[in-house]
Amino acid sequence: MTTGTDPELLSLCGLDDGWLDRRVFWDQAVYELELERIFARCWLFVAHESQLPKPGSFLTTWMGEDNVLVVRRRDGSIGAYLNSCPHRGNRVCTAEAGTARGFVCNYHGWSFGLDGTLNGVHESAAYGREPTFDQARLGLTPVARLDTYKGLVFATFDPDAPPLRDYLGEFTYYLDVMLDNDAGGTEFAGGSIKSVLGCNWKIAAENFAGDALHAGWTHASGAEAMIGRGVAELGADDADSYHVNAHGHCWEFNLDGVGNAATLGDKRIMNYLRENQERVAERLGELRARMVGSISSVNVFPNFSFLPGQNTFRTWQPKGPHRTELHTWVLVNRNAPPEVKDAWRKGAMMTFSPSGVFEMDDGENWELATRSNQGVVTRRQRLYYGLGSDTAIDHPELPGNVHRGQINDANQRAFYRRWSQLLRAATWDDLEKTR
Amino acid sequence: MTSAEVYWEVHAFLAYEARLLDEERYPEWLDLFCDDAHYWVPGVENRGRADTEGSYAPSRMAYFDDTLDDLRRRVVRFTAPTAWAEDPATRHLHVVSNIEVEDTDTAGELLVRSVIVNHRGQGDIDSATLYGRREDVLRRTPEGLRIARRLVVLRHAVLPAKNINTFF
Repeated sequence: MTTGTDPELLSLCGLDDGWLDRRVFWDQAVYELELERIFARCWLFVAHESQLPKPGSFLTTWMGEDNVLVVRRRDGSIGAYLNSCPHRGNRVCTAEAGTARGFVCNYHGWSFGLDGTLNGVHESAAYGREPTFDQARLGLTPVARLDTYKGLVFATFDPDAPPLRDYLGEFTYYLDVMLDNDAGGTEFAGGSIKSVLGCNWKIAAENFAGDALHAGWTHASGAEAMIGRGVAELGADDADSYHVNAHGHCWEFNLDGVGNAATLGDKRIMNYLRENQERVAERLGELRARMVGSISSVNVFPNFSFLPGQNTFRTWQPKGPHRTELHTWVLVNRNAPPEVKDAWRKGAMMTFSPSGVFEMDDGENWELATRSNQGVVTRRQRLYYGLGSDTAIDHPELPGNVHRGQINDANQRAFYRRWSQLLRAATWDDLEKTR
Repeated sequence: MTSAEVYWEVHAFLAYEARLLDEERYPEWLDLFCDDAHYWVPGVENRGRADTEGSYAPSRMAYFDDTLDDLRRRVVRFTAPTAWAEDPATRHLHVVSNIEVEDTDTAGELLVRSVIVNHRGQGDIDSATLYGRREDVLRRTPEGLRIARRLVVLRHAVLPAKNINTFF
């Protein structure tokens, strides 16, 4: 275990009773351990297949603080490599996306193919005389494994990580609500928007994991702008809503079908969802058809979030314990009419982007919730995460850990429980045994 | 070449517009737009010079890709008493510079290029400074100059800010 991290902190004493230690948002040593045991081990979202349409298509992204080059290779498969030259460490690709035949390092001219192999070097005669130079062993370092789930590309640095399907587990039942509600599958609308938040990455991730509670309060002004009124209370005794989680992946939702989508204020989107509801029900069943655009939010552990309905997809890239880079995209069904796709591109912009009327109110809350913990005495005060302590239920249809009511902290507790287990477990086998 | 008189008219218009934004006089700011206005601040991607896709495009994600109605919606959020993050108020500064004015082929429309620097002070110690180049089409109307089109290309691929709670 990294020196400086308190085992008691990592085991999150008190979480089951609804309390969280604030040091999880502040300590540099905890952050370093997160990079090693979460970001260097878990399956991380790196791309949507539609971002890599043809051989040579590439993008650069982050896996933890490691910059990664994701490439469509000549044979059509997708590869991912550390974006760092094995010679002096410089980045070999300095653009965020594009199309290339290969990658040449600006420093000394080492040249790499789409499959990461070192194809050539500047001043090759000198290397030719050098017995220690083994060109075949000096390619770009690939990730340990890469796999896709219905269009989403994930990678892991850990050769011992379980297969992606096992890592996602029962959560694929829920992911299909977004990824498989139409025969044509999905794609990302063009481009991406990136911004910087002065907050710990987990504050953002846990918000998407379960925080329906903040919607009506934080986003009252955004709702006023987009639907002309506030968000209705979500926590009535008879509310048909849930917190569900599996392996730390979390989805909070109600079954109103269109509550999130309605905030985009665009009839074309509402009509598309209504016209499709019956067909979606045939594919996924009645219950999941009512989740497609409903009031809901999702986090795939550790840092990949999205909002059904608004269709904003995003990663919270860690940049130190107090800084997060937010990358966002917009997911659409590939077979949706062009005007509907464009309505979603615009709708996500109006609501959940740095200029969006909803997102605008999140950043400051998250930054100050992080920054408060600089105070040593403040940091000693535990935070309350106790909502919904006895809401666990068995549900005839919904898999995973199911809790009744979306005004709940159950998913946030599940997120931190998974976080804690990963930080303490030296191996994936240990993880299964770690409570 | 436009006349000095027209140049100063445009200069005064842009300075007045910037002051309206500094003072959060949003309804008056909206009045400076034509009904058919398009206000576009595209997302900017860090792509190579040879990349034919370019660093921004109409089909890609944007910060603003707005009609006048869209702009009005945003103003509803800014001015709602429940916009908690707007209180205490942001300390806005919009600096407009490098103004160039050209006639266009359309009678009564001017092409105006400028540079915008937007500084925002927030809370106790927060601040963000954004830089961009603007290209406006200003239309002469009975009420004076009005904005028919605006394009703002920011100089940032990763926005060095948590939000854009202003206009440019």
